[in-house]
Amino acid sequence: MTTVPVWRGSSAFTQFTVLTGRALRTVVSSWQVTVLGLLQPVFMLLVISEVFGSMANPAYFPQGVRYIDYLMPGILITTGIGPAVSAGVGLIKDLENGVMARFRSLPIGMYWVLFGRGVADLARAAVQILVMLLGAVALLGFSPPGGVRGMAFALLIALFVTWSLAWTFIALGAFTRSAEVMQAVGFLAVFPLTFASSAFVPLDVLPGWLQAVATVNPLSHAVNASRHLTLSTAGGAEVPVALLASLVLAVLAQFVAMAGIRRKPLTA
Amino acid sequence: MSAPMIEATEIRMVFGEVKALDGVSLHVPEGEVLALLGHNGAGKTTLINILATLLPPTSGTARVAGFDVVSQAREVRRHIGITGQFVAVDRELSGTDNLVLIARLLGAGRREAKARAEELLEVFELTHTAGRPARTYSGGMRRRLDLASSLVGHPDVIFLDEPTTGLDPTGRLGLWEIVERLVKDGTAVLLTTQYLDEADRLADSVTVLSGGKIVAAGTASELKAGVGQHTVHVTLTDQAHTAAAVASLERAGLLPVADEESDKVSVAVEASTDLARVVRALDDAGATAAEIAFTQPTLDDVYLSLAAGRVS
Ligand SMILES: Nc1ncnc2c1ncn2[C@@H]1O[C@H](COP(=O)(O)OP(=O)(O)OP(=O)(O)O)[C@@H](O)[C@H]1O
Ligand SMILES: [Mg+2]
Repeated sequence: MTTVPVWRGSSAFTQFTVLTGRALRTVVSSWQVTVLGLLQPVFMLLVISEVFGSMANPAYFPQGVRYIDYLMPGILITTGIGPAVSAGVGLIKDLENGVMARFRSLPIGMYWVLFGRGVADLARAAVQILVMLLGAVALLGFSPPGGVRGMAFALLIALFVTWSLAWTFIALGAFTRSAEVMQAVGFLAVFPLTFASSAFVPLDVLPGWLQAVATVNPLSHAVNASRHLTLSTAGGAEVPVALLASLVLAVLAQFVAMAGIRRKPLTA
Repeated sequence: MSAPMIEATEIRMVFGEVKALDGVSLHVPEGEVLALLGHNGAGKTTLINILATLLPPTSGTARVAGFDVVSQAREVRRHIGITGQFVAVDRELSGTDNLVLIARLLGAGRREAKARAEELLEVFELTHTAGRPARTYSGGMRRRLDLASSLVGHPDVIFLDEPTTGLDPTGRLGLWEIVERLVKDGTAVLLTTQYLDEADRLADSVTVLSGGKIVAAGTASELKAGVGQHTVHVTLTDQAHTAAAVASLERAGLLPVADEESDKVSVAVEASTDLARVVRALDDAGATAAEIAFTQPTLDDVYLSLAAGRVS
């Protein structure tokens, strides 16, 4: 009989690093998703600036701000929605491939499996937003008064929002455990989240009921905050509101996600 | 006998209307293999899921490696390895990375994890594809990686749910040898299978499940004593002769099993020389055979002889 090393479990820190590393790897190996994910915001930016830009009444927009400059901070925020959905999709793939059951049979905390998922797609979002931002500066002449500092803070706000949305979709995946339901809900949610917000137009131009929806839409606050930071427009109070809303959503969604994992057994 | 590594008592599992398990008790001591035999839907996978802490039972208790599978699940997980019925590997990761991941999560250092991965890849003959993502593997290769994954932590208890499905004959034999080596080192193994020969080769004890209940339990040879070493399958030319053939075979001191409605009769025999006795008995009954096959007994033969009350 040979003596064998006895491995009976790892620290929470190891679980965090190893599981996050693993999720990051799957993001790298599916880099096409990251690249394709860039198409949507770029497309939105170009199409919306062309379509609405020509009709936009300058009276509605801040003085001396081009429509495309007005749009950019909003697009920065909404870019994170794609990676957030893919965090939920990634979880469902792990469920379908039996990987979650394999993890469940190990002496580890399932929280770290989900956390790694979130971090990985947050990284995906970071790459996309950064590319968007650099592209806008280099190609569209995006040079807002907030400067590099403003852009950096706007990027941070966007990542906060992405983090909370990623947990939301992870929670959705953990509960529904169905790719179809996830995709459908994702699609249904994304449309009003982006359009019933201040991402593309100032809230004042919207009809009353839509204005009400857009005002409670957490994305609106994040967009306003991002605009404040880059364009130096009014609305500094929106920054803490956006951060707090994201934080609350992220914490709530984490609890829901863990409840979803516990609700139904992960069987082999 | 040493302390039981797996001990299940009166396990019941109900899914809505379906009683998947209906009072199953069993135990497996250190260094022994128990084979669970049963047809589709017998409850094998359900039992494995419960013992591997993946599914809490509706009622009953189970202890694995000395810990309760419900209240001490985390402790149990430190001591088990499971290969489920369906392959569970990360298809985006390479063979090496899949195994390193599990080793690291179990607490191995970076270097130890790599060494363990290489060792297992060699045992399962996956070294040449170690660097490729698992999605590029063939089904059998993925199955072997899956099996390797369950052995990473040198577990004390291993659950294998139909481990040889999808493996070629060499792979099957290879796995049998690996299991035999593990058992020699003291590992307790619970495996499910549809194949009587697999149970016979590997298992110290065999438990037959049917409809969530244990219908037979004993050593493989006890089970086989009722079934016979070989089986002669006879297909008669005329179904009307079935009853007469059975009666004649019984008079000849043989153990025939047949369904009155069918033209097929199976006879458990000990040696090929018994074939002549079967033919003679058929002749005496005036029954002619369209086909006679001499085979290893299968799970069906076990069920048939159980139904005939010959094994208990
Ligand atoms: N999650 C579930 N929900 C409802 N019924 C289930 C569930 N899991 C298993 N069952 C039922 O429990 C019974 C036993 O299933 P189980 O998977 O344990 O059988 P098995 O012996 O492993 O069969 P097989 O040889 O096909 O793998 C079946 O009738 C099955 O339909
Ligand atoms: Mg099964």
